[in-house]
Amino acid sequence: MVFWKEFLPALFSGIVATLKLLAVAMPASVVLGVLLGTVRVYGGKIVKTIATAVVVVFRGFPLTVTLLILFFGLADFHINLTPYWAAVLGFTLCGGSYQSEYIRGAIRSIDKGQSVAAKALGMSKTQEIIYIILPQALRRALPGISNELIYMVKYSSLAFIIGVPEMFSIAKTFNSQWFMPIEVFSILAIMYLAMTTIVTLGFKLLEDKLKIPSTI
Amino acid sequence: MDNDIVLKAENLHKSYGKVKVLKGVSLEIRRGETKVIMGPSGAGKSTLLRCLNLLTKPDKGRVWLENVELTNPKVNINKVRAKIGFVFQEFNLFHHLTALENVMIGLTKVKKLPKKEALRKARETLLTVHITEDLWDKYPAQLSGGQKQRVAIARALAMDPVVMLYDEPTSALDPQLVGEVLQVIKELARKGVTSLIVTHEVDFALEIADEIMFMNDGKIVEKGPPGEVIFNPKHEVTRKFFEKISKPYGVGKYGVLERISPSII
Amino acid sequence: MNAEVLWYLPYIVEGICWTFALVFGGLALGFIIGLPIAIGQVYGNKVVKAFLNVYVWFFRGVPLIVLLFLFFWGVFPAMGMKLSALTTSIIVLGLRSGAYQSQIFRGAIESVGEGQVVAAKSIGMSGFQTIVHIVLPQALRIAIPGWTNEYAILLKDSAICFTLGVMEVLTRTRYVAVSTGTYLLPYVFAGILYIILTYAGTKLFNIVYEKYRIPGLIGGEGKYG
Repeated sequence: MVFWKEFLPALFSGIVATLKLLAVAMPASVVLGVLLGTVRVYGGKIVKTIATAVVVVFRGFPLTVTLLILFFGLADFHINLTPYWAAVLGFTLCGGSYQSEYIRGAIRSIDKGQSVAAKALGMSKTQEIIYIILPQALRRALPGISNELIYMVKYSSLAFIIGVPEMFSIAKTFNSQWFMPIEVFSILAIMYLAMTTIVTLGFKLLEDKLKIPSTI
Repeated sequence: MDNDIVLKAENLHKSYGKVKVLKGVSLEIRRGETKVIMGPSGAGKSTLLRCLNLLTKPDKGRVWLENVELTNPKVNINKVRAKIGFVFQEFNLFHHLTALENVMIGLTKVKKLPKKEALRKARETLLTVHITEDLWDKYPAQLSGGQKQRVAIARALAMDPVVMLYDEPTSALDPQLVGEVLQVIKELARKGVTSLIVTHEVDFALEIADEIMFMNDGKIVEKGPPGEVIFNPKHEVTRKFFEKISKPYGVGKYGVLERISPSII
Repeated sequence: MNAEVLWYLPYIVEGICWTFALVFGGLALGFIIGLPIAIGQVYGNKVVKAFLNVYVWFFRGVPLIVLLFLFFWGVFPAMGMKLSALTTSIIVLGLRSGAYQSQIFRGAIESVGEGQVVAAKSIGMSGFQTIVHIVLPQALRIAIPGWTNEYAILLKDSAICFTLGVMEVLTRTRYVAVSTGTYLLPYVFAGILYIILTYAGTKLFNIVYEKYRIPGLIGGEGKYG
């Protein structure tokens, strides 16, 4: 049928746009999350306050609001971000803020003895954080981080509200032309399910690979 | 300062809130010596040891390692700590690293040795504490308590420290694993490694110590050769303490610790 | 910047009524769906579990916006139902929240110690009685923090319903922004509104949690330390 011949390629371009968005936003959010989480545990008063403010704001604002602020709001001040970059920035800030909570919790759950032992060897605080604390904290935070990244795959659909031509926006456009909502949105749902399932499996494998062996 | 004195502490005071844990403690240890600190819980033994490498900052008093004063804020404390080997009661091995990596990390990151050299030194040290090759790639969670503590000793020893500080090294171990750790500490002491050990193991102290310091209530009450401090103490507190330790073993011919072979005394 | 924006802020605040309808409607429906699912996943047989797992997988795996459009434009009309945007949104939020809440309750039920169940059986309680009188009273308390988190999530997800035109906070904010040509202020205002609502709601649930906390229960400390 003509519909499918037109819909599927268009949907494919939407998938590519979604992946382009996630390819940058996912790693960026992890980096930001580690930065914010670490700073909130170890930072000086000023840096800590800034980091906490960032986390409170971007966890507190709905993602939709954040995206609209970055795309439309900043334009009030003549800062004109493209839809793509506004979306990347929005997802990074939002995802990173949520992840920073997991990382912060994980860092605080590492027993004090690890830190003391590092000091006793003569490691500086920075060395202690990078070589001893973070490798362990990141493993502990992995379930939380992967959870957030899976959310990001789904919430990427919201990028449509600022005009990014990703999967959902393509589907919506198609539906308004051909008006076959069941077919269009079911296929879309299946696509997202496939993506989230693959990412979930991927993280499970990663978790197993990074697990510290024990006899327990 | 006398060239032979490697570690010296002068008038250490430490309080936690209202509780005064160290009430003016001084000590010194010379190269090659083995000294043991004993005393009841809460006497301040662990706190004292941790003040010696500034893991705990004393409120008052000074500490020197060879000629460097640790308590001087201008001194790079990390560099000094690298020269003091510290062994913890709870081992504190780095969970995410194998036994070999635990011993290597101080060498590569703190002493900045090239990987090859660090590897060689780590292997050597692990063999010194009788950790055989089959255990080198195991993670702490896969090792027994005795093995963990020996790896911890290797980690500290590999740094070639000037002095080794042991904070109740066997207190967290199951009884049948205590021996293997004490054996390693004894061997190192006999080889000439300067050692300061906090322990409850009286037999061990009698065998290995050049001097026993008895601590009570934040002060070093008395010190001297093991035989004297344990069997012929000058202070009532000391006598009472060692009496209590000996009671489970019964009072024998020598008044205390029937198990001791006469040749040591 | 257009100062007349400030006149429209109360209009945005009125949207809170619709937002609450969405959030509490979704939470309530999610509870009614989620708790039975959790019980089924813990105590059910293989077939039941498989069916429930598919439900949870579907409603957690598909983005909310896709669900909203699928049901509003597709499923409900196909079933001959003409539901308003608000009703559809509450139903969809509820179906989805039910999937998430089921996992919260499942975790809570599983963390009630095995010993509790064995003890109940030993005094002759049936399986049903055990669940109702022993397991659930503990599990529900354990679940409160997770459930409070679900409130915070639903609150933010309710904003997505602007895509169906529900007159909640974000829809109104957009109208104000577009008609006054000022974008930053209204959106930041809306964001702050959401933060306040999240904080207030979370605080309220924490008070409830404190009130019903059992000393010695996992996560509960109470006056017995």
